[in-house]
Amino acid sequence: MATTMLLLPPGGWLHSSRHSTAAAVGGFGGRGCHHHHGPPALRSEGACLHGVQPPVSCALPPWARGRAMVMLQAGLCPGLTAEMIQLLKASGIRTVVDLISSDLEEVAQKCSLSYKALVAVRRVLLAQFSAFPINGVHLYEELKSSMAILSTGNKSLDTLLDSGLYTGEVMELMGAPGSGKTQVCLSIAASVSHSLKQNVLFIDSTGGFTASRLLQLVQFRTEEEEEQVEALQRIQVAHVFDIYKMLAALQELRHCMSQQVVCSGGPVKLLVVDSVSAVVCPLFGGRQSEGLALMMQLARELKTLAREFGLATVVTNHVTRDSSSGHLKPALGRSWSFVPSTRVLLERSQGALGKASTQCIASLTKSPRQPTGIKVELDIGGYGALEERPVFMSAVVFSSKTNPIELVYYVGVLL
Amino acid sequence: MDRLRRERHVLGAGRARPEEEVAPGPTWVAPCRKPGSGGRAMQRDLGSLPLAPALRARLVGAGFSTAQELLEVGPCELSKEIGISNEEALETLQVIRQECDSDAARMGGDPTSLRTCTALELLEQEQAQGFVVTFCSVLDDILGGGVQLTKITEICGAPGVGKTQLCMQLAVDVQIPECFGGLAGEAVYIDTEGSFMVERVADIATACVQHCQLIAEAHQEEDHHKALETFSLESILSHIYYFRCHDYTELLAQIYLLPDFLSEHSKVRLVAVDGIAFPFRHDFEDLSLRTRLLNGLAQQLISIANDHKLAVILTNQMTTRIGQSQSTLVPALGESWGHAATIRLILHWDNNQRLATLYKSPSQKESTVPYCITPHGFRDVQPPPPSQTPEGSEMNPRKRPRIEEDKQ
Repeated sequence: MATTMLLLPPGGWLHSSRHSTAAAVGGFGGRGCHHHHGPPALRSEGACLHGVQPPVSCALPPWARGRAMVMLQAGLCPGLTAEMIQLLKASGIRTVVDLISSDLEEVAQKCSLSYKALVAVRRVLLAQFSAFPINGVHLYEELKSSMAILSTGNKSLDTLLDSGLYTGEVMELMGAPGSGKTQVCLSIAASVSHSLKQNVLFIDSTGGFTASRLLQLVQFRTEEEEEQVEALQRIQVAHVFDIYKMLAALQELRHCMSQQVVCSGGPVKLLVVDSVSAVVCPLFGGRQSEGLALMMQLARELKTLAREFGLATVVTNHVTRDSSSGHLKPALGRSWSFVPSTRVLLERSQGALGKASTQCIASLTKSPRQPTGIKVELDIGGYGALEERPVFMSAVVFSSKTNPIELVYYVGVLL
Repeated sequence: MDRLRRERHVLGAGRARPEEEVAPGPTWVAPCRKPGSGGRAMQRDLGSLPLAPALRARLVGAGFSTAQELLEVGPCELSKEIGISNEEALETLQVIRQECDSDAARMGGDPTSLRTCTALELLEQEQAQGFVVTFCSVLDDILGGGVQLTKITEICGAPGVGKTQLCMQLAVDVQIPECFGGLAGEAVYIDTEGSFMVERVADIATACVQHCQLIAEAHQEEDHHKALETFSLESILSHIYYFRCHDYTELLAQIYLLPDFLSEHSKVRLVAVDGIAFPFRHDFEDLSLRTRLLNGLAQQLISIANDHKLAVILTNQMTTRIGQSQSTLVPALGESWGHAATIRLILHWDNNQRLATLYKSPSQKESTVPYCITPHGFRDVQPPPPSQTPEGSEMNPRKRPRIEEDKQ
């Protein structure tokens, strides 16, 4: 059975192709548009990657919209009747992708169906389920109106990240045990919650979240108790310790955000997951395929959440030692390395007399905007941990026609 | 979104217009559930539901992709479609229905399943819960008050430096009544090396009881005396639940059965695993399996610590890492195990002095303090007493400030 190549655009679904402004073909639409394409070849490996997702405006019932690989059912499009479906099922064609990718002449012969009818059905299905290209200029306009940059509160870290955390993207912090990942996460959460007054969701899977340390960080930024209390109330914490619970937590976040339910005051703008490798590592080792599939599921959830709802996402990862070269490399392998768009490695610096100091060195190992290899020094041991009292804060108003909630975004210290 | 929809009209000949409503066929009627609440939960992807991988592969191959589609199909049709037995199909559907129900309940506002709470609430909880004291005041200081609840503390050290002593001390200290500053809890002790000596625990317990009696005499309060009636050597020993595991399978089984045990004994506030490295270090050919088992164990332990609000103590051995020019002692079980423990304490020698270094902690700074082990247990290093104190020579003068704290 010859499989015809579909309209699926090239390029993996995991890298942010929106940065190529020449992406006139199959660009990712802005927010609220589900366009995720998995290469059809992976379907046979048993991985849970799905094919095309239909745009929201198609005439499918609500529960079937947004789902890929829909099974063929009567009434999915005009001309697709129940008998047709039975005949197709008998010859092994069950889903939309099966029908679209099969050779219609053969199918018409095998199932004794009219070729014209099949072609008509296929055309309608393609129209319903495929993506459509978007102009680079429109993409840029959309980005300008929906993306924001959240300052991390520390000037040197902001320099490293090209002025801060970009919404819609995933940033990964990696480091050896005790190198300061949790401290940096807590500090970023405190800064976003207090200085930028945005809601934060902190998903803790290691038990490293200590509220008293967070209080110290917030107290360093402000003396007034009311502000401290408010800042602490804006941070929601979820304790999840295995992969299924983490997926459920992300599902709940999606539910909250899509219904614009007020989760104590406003939509979440920053999602911190500490750490991703703690829940994914127990899945690897014995049977690789299951672990990989679940990890990719998690990756997809994180990326689509970030993209659809404009969240800035920070995840932490472990490092392992490369057996051949002895260098540190991030855990979770090559498949995960496509998920974050920015990667920062944290290392403890050796202070004087061989005693480890509270300084740590952050180096940029992957970034879509900055040259890699930049290093900055951060002080994570102090009571302020990464805090520098903001010298100059500017509020830049981005006009947004679609979503009245994001009206004002703060861009931290302008460089 | 509007702009995008308009564009589709422009581009599309032969594209379905959104106004074209397609009459849904009979198979589309959503199953009769609570209207509205189940809708979102039904769209859970099959990949995120806890199913066996072989089963999941068959379901995906048959074209199912969401929980909704599966639940519409009855168990008989399901078993025919993917070729499993009727019982398996029924089980699968039950599991999925349970997941979706709990999801729906959670989204309907029932907060017990996921337990998202604000940082403020967590702060209040943290401030209300106590610590397990170690009777060495400088160590308690660098730990922030003692061993923390809801976290895993790992104690690493060379042989003979005092890891098991500290575990035994903590198993006794967790039972100190609340009026003396303790938690009045019970302890679970899982031993893999066989180094638990009951006589030594009896000594430590006797010394602890004596210490509390001295405090009670000094303060003469009602509840102190009442608490002392129940706090005796027999009660301490009877509230330490001891499990002996001989290899890693038994250890894993014990840890996986622990939640059931803890739901029956809800007063347990400490779980000590003495020797987590020992069963995993010898006789393990497959290192990736070892990493996987250890990581799963760590996640199970932190989940237990969080759900039942108790402290987990693990002891680890040391191994030598050979570098370019020198070799250093590092904790065993590899690099990835370092991420498992929230707080890491390394015990080591410096000439004849034992030192404890706090190596990793989310809220405390890294520091090193000396300690010593006396016949009464884990204690501070005693400065040579200048004169005989009225409380008796074994009372360390530095421990007196604790009495004031106990009164709070």
